[in-house]
Amino acid sequence: MTYAKTAIRLEDVSTVYEGESRPAIRDVNLTLEENELVYVVGPNASGKTTLLETINGLLPTFKGRVSVFGLDVQTQGRRVRCEIGYVPQDFMVEPGEPYTAFDIVMMGGYGKIGILNRPNERNRERALEAMRLLDIEGLAHRPLGKLSGGQQQKVMIARALTKEPRVLLLDEPFSNLDPESKEKIPSLISRLHEEEGLTTLIVTHEVHSMLKSCRRVVVMNNGRILADGAPEKALGKWGTSS
Amino acid sequence: MIWLELDIMRRALLGCVLAGFLTGLMGVFVVRMRLSAIGYSMSHGAFAGAALGVATSANPLVTAMFFASATAFLIGPIADKARLHVDTITSIIFPLNMALAFVFLTLTPEIGLTSQVASVLWGSIISLTNSDVVYLVTLCAATVSVIHFVWKELFSIMFNRKLAEADGISTKPFIYLIIFLSGIVVTLSLKLVGGLLIYALLFNPASSALQFLEDMRKIIIASPLIGVATNLSGLMVSLYLDLPVGSCIVLVSTIIFTIAVLLSPKRRRKMENDKNRYCAA
Repeated sequence: MTYAKTAIRLEDVSTVYEGESRPAIRDVNLTLEENELVYVVGPNASGKTTLLETINGLLPTFKGRVSVFGLDVQTQGRRVRCEIGYVPQDFMVEPGEPYTAFDIVMMGGYGKIGILNRPNERNRERALEAMRLLDIEGLAHRPLGKLSGGQQQKVMIARALTKEPRVLLLDEPFSNLDPESKEKIPSLISRLHEEEGLTTLIVTHEVHSMLKSCRRVVVMNNGRILADGAPEKALGKWGTSS
Repeated sequence: MIWLELDIMRRALLGCVLAGFLTGLMGVFVVRMRLSAIGYSMSHGAFAGAALGVATSANPLVTAMFFASATAFLIGPIADKARLHVDTITSIIFPLNMALAFVFLTLTPEIGLTSQVASVLWGSIISLTNSDVVYLVTLCAATVSVIHFVWKELFSIMFNRKLAEADGISTKPFIYLIIFLSGIVVTLSLKLVGGLLIYALLFNPASSALQFLEDMRKIIIASPLIGVATNLSGLMVSLYLDLPVGSCIVLVSTIIFTIAVLLSPKRRRKMENDKNRYCAA
């Protein structure tokens, strides 16, 4: 008999933004087993982004404990973040930004390479491979600011994959994509999740894009988890509550 | 040229080249990491410290370095403790340092506006000593080495601090490193343009390079070169027109920045984009 290993665990977690008194997420309990793919949905300001930033330790928890593969995020944040590929929400840069797409993708692996070590040929090959997966290899030497919103979004996904993460946290990864990519990228993420065993947590408001590939949905509202389970059941609960 | 044979001029030229290189180099990090407010508070901290050194007959270089570093390192923790924005704290500390500088200078009336005081206020490149040049050379070597070793982390933080943190880079020590190095660079460059104008040397070359270039690796090379060219041109203008060196350097650097903005392809592209967006709407 084999037991699935816990990848992400949140125990009674509340997070408060600096200068605010009301927690953005409160008393959240959530467990993701290794190699699970979970979608998080909910209305605006329901705490979805805060949940992702709490998991990778970018926001300090006010209460409770967060661990990733058994490592406490508050005390071992750097080690945890080396294992997490993160794509932030609506990330767009100005046209004059002095970085190429390849620079940005390479950066994804810098934390894992470690201080004082220089990126080697394998790191460069891995970055190009991530770009190839997303069909943006041809854009490698173009300035990031000159790419369209969808292309920039793909660069950010490739950046998250470069470090060969064990966990993927994606915040609205399909938001700026063209219709063709909107079909293609969710399938690619599902494939990566299956082939490379990535534990994946995706925040999205595009419910239709996930139904094909997803077995578990978490619904959030007002900073709390409203429902957690199979898509039809969880989304049904969201529908009745709203 | 006869004046090149003078030791004083050789030191002045070397000082211009080294300080221009260092301020141009550090300026890129200060501008890209949005530490400008800390930068100018720190330069005025160095000014206040040097004034204290003059007033108490201590070594102005040491007191300037102490004040610059203290200013830089206090701003963050004070803002955190008081739950105020860094901008608010810098807006308070900036005039405080200026006020302290003038208090220190007037506490000892016998000093008055002596050449030592004037050199703190407006710089005095002819007072550069051989030791000053040695310090600048050492600092150049140390700064370039440090940046070489942690380049990938700085490169990433300059793009986006939050993403760098998300990738597993502890950004705080690198930010402190840049603040610390900038503090020393500002202090050692005080004799060139003085405490009132030094921050122009930190920001103008980097801001000019950023107008033209679209590759951070080129910017990190171009900005120090602009810094060197600015300082040398400022020195020449000052010798030719018999005006203060520091003021001439800042005037030249402002002219270079203005030309860079006017000719900037990036700015033109941005204007076109805004126009297209407006038309589409």
